[in-house]
Amino acid sequence: MTAVPDPGIAVSVTGLVKRYGDHAALCGVDLEVRRGEKIVICGPSGSGKSTFIRCLNALERHDAGRIVVNGIELTGDEGTVQDVRQEVGMVFQHFNLFPHLTALENCMLAPRLNRGLGKAQAQALAMKHLERVHLADHAGKYPSRLSGGQQQRVAIARALCMEPRILLFDEPTSALDPEMVKEVLAVMEELAASGVTMLCVTHEMGFARRVADRCVFMDRGAIVESGEAARFFDAPASERLRGFLAQILH
Amino acid sequence: MMHLSLPEFADYLRQLGQGALITLELFLASFALAFLFGVLVGILTLSPNRLVQGLWRVYASIFMGVPSLLVIFLIFYGGSAMLAAVFGAAGAGIDISPFGAGVAALTIVYTAYIAELVRGAIGNLPKGQFEGARALAIPPLVMWLKVILPQALRLALPGLVNVWSFMLKETPLVSLAGLQDLVASAKVAAGATKEPFVFFIATALFFIVFSAITLKLADRLEIRLERGLRRTPQRRDAGVRA
Repeated sequence: MTAVPDPGIAVSVTGLVKRYGDHAALCGVDLEVRRGEKIVICGPSGSGKSTFIRCLNALERHDAGRIVVNGIELTGDEGTVQDVRQEVGMVFQHFNLFPHLTALENCMLAPRLNRGLGKAQAQALAMKHLERVHLADHAGKYPSRLSGGQQQRVAIARALCMEPRILLFDEPTSALDPEMVKEVLAVMEELAASGVTMLCVTHEMGFARRVADRCVFMDRGAIVESGEAARFFDAPASERLRGFLAQILH
Repeated sequence: MMHLSLPEFADYLRQLGQGALITLELFLASFALAFLFGVLVGILTLSPNRLVQGLWRVYASIFMGVPSLLVIFLIFYGGSAMLAAVFGAAGAGIDISPFGAGVAALTIVYTAYIAELVRGAIGNLPKGQFEGARALAIPPLVMWLKVILPQALRLALPGLVNVWSFMLKETPLVSLAGLQDLVASAKVAAGATKEPFVFFIATALFFIVFSAITLKLADRLEIRLERGLRRTPQRRDAGVRA
């Protein structure tokens, strides 16, 4: 197909299927994300929400359907995978910082390789983004010397150093102590205001209300309901979403 | 007292020195090669491919099970025939020296041990380390060199230090294929002078001093590889002690 990609579309997913053996983790997911849009994805555990966003940068390879990210279709080809990963930053539940490198070195590694920056340039870029997450003072520290919230903010800075047009968050606050959730969400809100496209798997409903343009509810490998945040929370249409919200909001 | 004249004694000591040099060359060459191949084989064995798994299991069980001396003899006495079988007439012309046979045998045997250590260490790293690197579009070679192996080597270091000490102690086996290493030189000197204690104890001291120095270096390497990690006891350990 040679359809000209719509430049206003950041991510386009159609008929996405992912199987693990006999089990279908995703059974036909469709989602279109406009550039600059903030999407929050929620759903019970095992609903396929993490699998879904992990397919978007090919950490999981999909079995059927189409994924187009920034106009690049993800195929089995390694080259397109690398192209997509250059444009898509990811923040993980468990941070996945490299423990043998300082915060600064964590941020410098990928830009030096992928963007051909010299040491001084990469360092300046890393400092810029560490400052953005309010951790410039901790640049020389190893991850083990930082709190969970600080580690997650370093991980966000590390993703930003690739200057991605799309950011994926996979339950970024689920592994944090409650008192650290706020500082990470605050940074994410600042990012949201910068105009970057965000897809975020989270159960932080306050964050979703404040930031999300659209909320998506997944269950059993499919999107059950999606809509603008206020309507999503206050007037859920489906029984399953009502049940889910009742559970997480106590 | 010794019945040796000073010049004679000095001459034997010089021979011992030359033997020590050969022992060191043999050891360092074999360890360097075994380390290189061990890391490569260790990474390869992580492949779920059944052929790879099968080959690895056969290789590991042969060379971890068979005495190193037998491997040395096989290569020294049978190596030319094997080369001839593989490379034809060109291979038959190659003469295998005791040194070459020793390096080849020790490399083949210890590659298995080092691969096993490296494989275990990589297997113990969190999967998130690989995913973090992949998500950042870090190419595979750099991922291994800068992200995975530095962490895996830290985990494998205690085992590697054991292999280092053990391999050093196995090097004299190559003297049985005719290599004039330190132990062979000591044996000649002891026999000729009827002074076994002097030369054998000097030889023992050499091994002890070399081990001590390198173990000190290993401690430094450990500190370097553990940078970034808290040097306080892990919570899990504390729980066990409590």
